[in-house]
Amino acid sequence: MPLARADLESLLRTRRLDRTLTTALPPLDPAGIPDEYVCAPTGHTALDARLGGGFPRGHLSEIVGPRSSGRTSLLLQMLAAATARGELVALVDALDMLDVASADAAGVQLDRLLWVRGHVVTNPGLCRDLNQRAVEQAIRAFTLVLQAGNFGLVAFDAGEAPADAIRRLPFTTWMRLQRLIEGSQTAGVLVGSESMARSSSGLTVKLGIGASGFGIRGTRAIRFGSRLFEGFDVDVRVIRARARAREDATVALRTLAACGA
Amino acid sequence: MRNVTLESQSNPESHIPHPVFLYACLYRPPQSEPARASLAVIAQEFSPRYECHRDDLVSIDVSGLERLLGPARVIGEELRRDAASRGVRVHVAVAGARMAALVLAHARPGVTIVEPGGEAGALAPLAIGILERLDDVVGADPCVPPSQGYGEARQSAKRDGSRPGPTLRSGQARGSAPPSDAMVETLSVFKRWGLKTLGELAALPSADLASRLGRQALVWQAIARGDDVRPLVPTLEEERFESSLELEWPIEGLEPLSFVLTRLLEPLSTRLERRDRGAAVLHVLLRLVTKDVHARRLELPAPMRDVRALRTLALLDLESHPPAGAVDRVAVVIDPTPGRVLQHTLFTRAQPTPEQVSTLLARLGALMGQDRLGAPATVDSYRPGAFAMMPFATEHDDQRRTRGTRREQDEPDAARSALNVVSALRRCRQPVPARVTIDDGRPARVTTDRRGFVGGTVVSCAGPWRTSGNWWADRSGGTQTQPSYWNRDEWDVALNDGAVYRIFQDRDTEAWFIDAIVD
Repeated sequence: MPLARADLESLLRTRRLDRTLTTALPPLDPAGIPDEYVCAPTGHTALDARLGGGFPRGHLSEIVGPRSSGRTSLLLQMLAAATARGELVALVDALDMLDVASADAAGVQLDRLLWVRGHVVTNPGLCRDLNQRAVEQAIRAFTLVLQAGNFGLVAFDAGEAPADAIRRLPFTTWMRLQRLIEGSQTAGVLVGSESMARSSSGLTVKLGIGASGFGIRGTRAIRFGSRLFEGFDVDVRVIRARARAREDATVALRTLAACGA
Repeated sequence: MRNVTLESQSNPESHIPHPVFLYACLYRPPQSEPARASLAVIAQEFSPRYECHRDDLVSIDVSGLERLLGPARVIGEELRRDAASRGVRVHVAVAGARMAALVLAHARPGVTIVEPGGEAGALAPLAIGILERLDDVVGADPCVPPSQGYGEARQSAKRDGSRPGPTLRSGQARGSAPPSDAMVETLSVFKRWGLKTLGELAALPSADLASRLGRQALVWQAIARGDDVRPLVPTLEEERFESSLELEWPIEGLEPLSFVLTRLLEPLSTRLERRDRGAAVLHVLLRLVTKDVHARRLELPAPMRDVRALRTLALLDLESHPPAGAVDRVAVVIDPTPGRVLQHTLFTRAQPTPEQVSTLLARLGALMGQDRLGAPATVDSYRPGAFAMMPFATEHDDQRRTRGTRREQDEPDAARSALNVVSALRRCRQPVPARVTIDDGRPARVTTDRRGFVGGTVVSCAGPWRTSGNWWADRSGGTQTQPSYWNRDEWDVALNDGAVYRIFQDRDTEAWFIDAIVD
């Protein structure tokens, strides 16, 4: 006697074989241990727990936020965690703004980091198309690195790039990149002031200060010492999650200034 | 007929001609003037089967050469005459055992001929100290363990796991090495036993000798008895890997050239694979219609023989260094190197292969410029934002590494914990000129003319942090943005628009700049 469809689905759910047949996703991690082959952990315990293990591999994810919101700090933390796992990582730095001392202080193993320095300039003057060409060039470099494959983490940092230069990129660019990275073990990360890949992205986290009541900038969230800047408190909010993480989850990060930074 | 059949049945080997081996050894004694020809060249004139032990010692398989030259003595004389005509004075020994010929060539000048079967008798009167000069030759034999000392044979082999090195390849030069400590120790034991000649060593009972000095002593005894301890391993000529193609019609552009390169590289890759070799250097020689030769040399970061990778690298190089005219002849030469030995594992993450990384770096270099990619490195300098670019390695160990330098261990644990993130800077490679209003000795307002850096009122700040360096250097040196000399006061300021900047005032010009963004 044939079983009813509901009975079959019930059985499949019981055996946890329903991932491809229904829309229900399996639990985050049965043993509570993040799977490094599915996600790229950020190295921050609370954030990884919220993200279900980290940024998904085989997807294009985003770290967005305004200036001084901790995007670079989080990115360097991810690079450090990836290199500590023995992975090779690549950073396409569209504006050539990486501070090597900060990366070293964050724990990035620099010999495992392929740094591609872009030509985007913050003051193009009368050459309006200069940045557009440079962004497109950086995107091509990003594409080449993704095509090479087997990098653990590949980041495209356009955090300070002019917004119009990013917006003028064809939307299919991100679809193509997402298609390129699908099925691979690489976690692609875009860093910008606003969302770039939109629906192509696997995970989008937005960084900012004050969303969880940290107070006004400069009064409580940003700390200064007697010498120089000491750190600030950052809210990380998951605004889009295709894979395991739950949307609207919020995590508080605290950044600390490294020695000499 | 029946008799023949019966005879062959009763003694089947009686009609099979017994192979007669004959080996010649050339030894060049130390001379004041350098040799004008190598012994390998002389050996090649007589037999393709020769083995170079050192640059002053070569053994040649001259079996069968009697039919061409005559008896062994004639062969020996021919060898000596040929060497003399090339200006090389050699000792020649011809014997039925290779090791016996090697020993006799060391011991006796001129030409020494030993009839087959008489090796032990010829060696017997030689002093036992001659073995010292053969220590490196025996140690280099692939089948013979390196000489080991008294009672240490097994322990030493287990301890260091040393393996004998291969015989010399053509072109390699190596002189006689001093005897090893183990050899000296073994010989001293022989002398304490009262042994003076090889004949006395040969007469010792083998089992007792092995029980006292180990297996290596049996090797020395076999040499003293005139026995070969291993067959001759011929030295192979280094194969040239080159291929060329004359074009009926000159070609221009890289696209048709890629097909030609593929056609040239494919057989070379097959030959490399057959020889277990990889390409270390790729030479592309293009003869132009102007009769000039456009030569490009690619040093590959890792041995590779993948046709697509080699072709892509060659094309990318030619793309950045195009020939000046049409090409009518294409030649590819590969400098070989031993191939890579890869051991894959299921327990570590796959990493890009050296071919992939090399191709990627070449493509990125063609796209962005060679100076725009690599691995960053810190430098030993207090200059803000100082860094160096290192070539990105194509091969990395796949082990998870733990950071353990002293400086990192000294850092506070809090900054390393998984609960905090180290705050980072975004450097402005060209510091942004700014206008800073000072109130009570502290920045109160920061504005710029730069698009994207609006500025605003300073909410809070910290500083100044005075830093200077290279004060001894020429102040006119360097660039405007990265002078070799710097002297400035740094401030970290939080503006009311939410941005946190690191600004500085140049103490010489009193001009303000935005140096970095805290992010």
